[in-house]
Order: sequence, then structure tokens, then C-alpha cells
Amino acid sequence: MSLIKDLFTNWSVWRRPGYFESFDYSWGMVIDLDRCTGCEACVVACTAENNLPIVGEKRFSENREIKWIRIERYWSGEYPNAKLSFIPMLCQHCDQAPCEIACPVSATYHNQDGLNTQIYNRCIGTRTCAVYCPYEVRFFNWFSYTWDAPLEQQLNPDVTVREKGVMEKCTFCIQRIREAKDHAKDDGRRRLREGDIQPACAQACPTKAIVFGDRNDPDSQVAQMASDARGYTVLKELNTSPSIVYLRRVDQEHV
Amino acid sequence: MSVSVREALGAFKPAAIAVGIALAAYIAGWVAYEVFFPGTAPVQPIEFSHVIHAGDYQIDCQYCHIYAARSTTAGVPAVEKCMGCHKVIATDKPEIQKLTDYWNSRQAIPWIKVHDLADFVYFPHKRHVQAEVACQTCHGEVQTMARIERVAPLSMKWCVGCHEEREVENGRDCWTCHK
Repeated sequence: MSLIKDLFTNWSVWRRPGYFESFDYSWGMVIDLDRCTGCEACVVACTAENNLPIVGEKRFSENREIKWIRIERYWSGEYPNAKLSFIPMLCQHCDQAPCEIACPVSATYHNQDGLNTQIYNRCIGTRTCAVYCPYEVRFFNWFSYTWDAPLEQQLNPDVTVREKGVMEKCTFCIQRIREAKDHAKDDGRRRLREGDIQPACAQACPTKAIVFGDRNDPDSQVAQMASDARGYTVLKELNTSPSIVYLRRVDQEHV
Repeated sequence: MSVSVREALGAFKPAAIAVGIALAAYIAGWVAYEVFFPGTAPVQPIEFSHVIHAGDYQIDCQYCHIYAARSTTAGVPAVEKCMGCHKVIATDKPEIQKLTDYWNSRQAIPWIKVHDLADFVYFPHKRHVQAEVACQTCHGEVQTMARIERVAPLSMKWCVGCHEEREVENGRDCWTCHK
């Protein structure tokens, strides 16, 4: 009952822009598109870390692929001057997340770390959140996927293997955040330090295009890079206030 | 004019059948649960008594469950740990001879897990041990159990109830315990 009461009293606070500043942490990411080569190492790392299923060719053609991070490609211009640009797209962990207001059972919510989280146990699979998400980064498990031997041996024990009927998405490698917090407490530290956590995609990135950190800390690399002149957020006009800031690619023609 | 009771009750026939099927399913489910699930106190391969070890001899829990304070799992002791003492102590007892057989055939003892949490639960023993929660809070009075029995329901309500009572930091956040 107290939870419902909290919900009503805090509702106006939660919907206020900037309410996330009072959270313990505000995990964010900066992706430098000038460094990104589109090698998809982050995609592979994410698949391995978070037990993502390989859906197969048929289901891929049915748009049932599950990839928490993907490289989106955009072609522009005609043949001799055709130009390819790409952008890594993952859950933006919006502070004003459209998916959160959509869920009828509150299976997706903002936690005290400023993360947009998904609870698989509570999800009933209405898929409303995926409809509301403007970034198309939520994935529904249409089937229970299995891993052929010996691949099931490489499943990450810290991450649940999702069954059919639940929605899933990027968690900012919340299992690593939790483990780092555990280690910090073992060492008697109250707070995490810069560099304690690296999500799988940032760790795998060969050009260090992905930087992860706490946006609440003004000295963190993320906070400093986010104020770069090249910085922008995707679909800014929707006022979702994403946690991920992209740094624009420096083009020869724009210099 | 007479009314046939049988005819009057005929309207309730589908409902009666539905109730009957539900009752049968309930009983079948209960029987299946009793038969196929090990219960709260399964019979272990060796009749290891915590009364003797933790009760009479006052051996500290973490002498055998060595990982409890520094890992997520408390750890079941290796056969080597048992043999450390039982090479010389009580070697004539039948249960110890079972242990020696496991040792000689270089096999792990297939203990049956009594406190088995679901795979989607992240439960670090170290957080609870370091917060000075006594082992008995969740595992019951182990030092008086000849065979280990699960006394706690291990339900989410039970976990969250304790978190709220002790005002655990972020103790009500879903992702503190779920994964």
C-alpha cells in the first residue's frame, strides 16, 4: 500500500525535468561518432555479456532479431558520391522515458541509479513499451531460445536467460554496476569511483568511442565530454532527455 | 404439479463438472508436488549432523562454509575439508566410512540443495554476513538440526519484509535482488 501512496505523492516529482539529479548516480554514456568505425565489436560484446539469443536467419527476416546495441546505417547521395554514415543505437535510458509511463504493470521504471530498468519477472508482455519507444531499442522474446552445446557453457550467470513473453533491452550492464558496488562496499567505500565500471560495449570498443560514467559527477569524463560543442542527443525534439550524448562526426565537407 | 429435482439441478451440471475438474486438478497438483519435490528436509547422501559439529563442538559456520563472508555463495566444503579431521576422528562410524568411500573414489558428495533460490535472484551472502545478519536468521537454528531443514519461506515478501524492517539502502529496488 505504501508503494502506491509513494507513487501518488512522488508522481509530480518524477515527471519534473531534472528530478534525476537527486539520484545517487546518473549513469550516462558519451559516444564519439568521429572515433566510431562501425566495427560492431560492441554488438558482439553485448551479445556475449547479456546472454542475447541468436535468432537465426528466418526470424531475423521477420524482424525478430534481438540486439541490445546495433549499428544503424544511413545512405545519402547518389552512386559516385554516395555516402554511408552510421550510429550505434542502444537504449538511451531517457530520464523522461516514454516507455515507463506506458507499462501497465510498472515492469519498467527508473531506479535510484538513474537507470531505465526492465524487470523480467514483472513483465507480462503487452509490448506497449516497445510501441512507445521512439528509438526502437526494446526487443520482445517471441520464443524461448536455446543454446546448442557447448554454447550454453558461455552464458553469463549474472544475467537471466529471458524466456518467451518478456520484453528486454539494454541495462547499461547493471550486473557490472552491482558487482562494482559490492566490491566498493567490501573496501568500505560508500560511492563508486570513476572507472570502476565499464559496460561490455565500452570495454570492447577498440577506438574507445564509447565512454561510460556518472553524469552527476562534474569531474567525470562523461560529464566533461557531454558539454562538447559536437554533442547532441538523438530525437531531442521529443523531450525524452536521453542519458546518451553523441558527438557529431567531423566531415571533410563541413570543415 | 410436481417439479423434478433432477431436472431442476440439471442447469447446474456444467458448473458442477467444472468444480469437479478443478478439485481433481488441485489434488493431482498437490500429490505431484509431494512426490516430485524434495520437500523442506530432503534425505542427504550422508547423514551429516549439524548438531554434532555446530552444536556440540561449536565449530564456526565459516570454518566449513568458507566463502560466506567474501562471495555470493557460502560454499559447500570440499571433501578434503571433511577428511582433514575425519582421517583420524570417528573413522569407525558407518557415515564416516561413506565419506571415506567418496574420498577414495575421488568423488564429490552429491549433497541436495535445501535453500535453493530461483535463478533470477541475486543473493550475495557476503552483503548479509558483513551486515552482521546471523546465519540463523535465514537458515534457522542449524545447530539443533540433525538433518538440515528449510524453515524460511524464501519468498520475495519475506526478503523485502526484512529489508524494510532494517531499512536497507535501496532495499526495495527491484534490481537490488533481481537479475
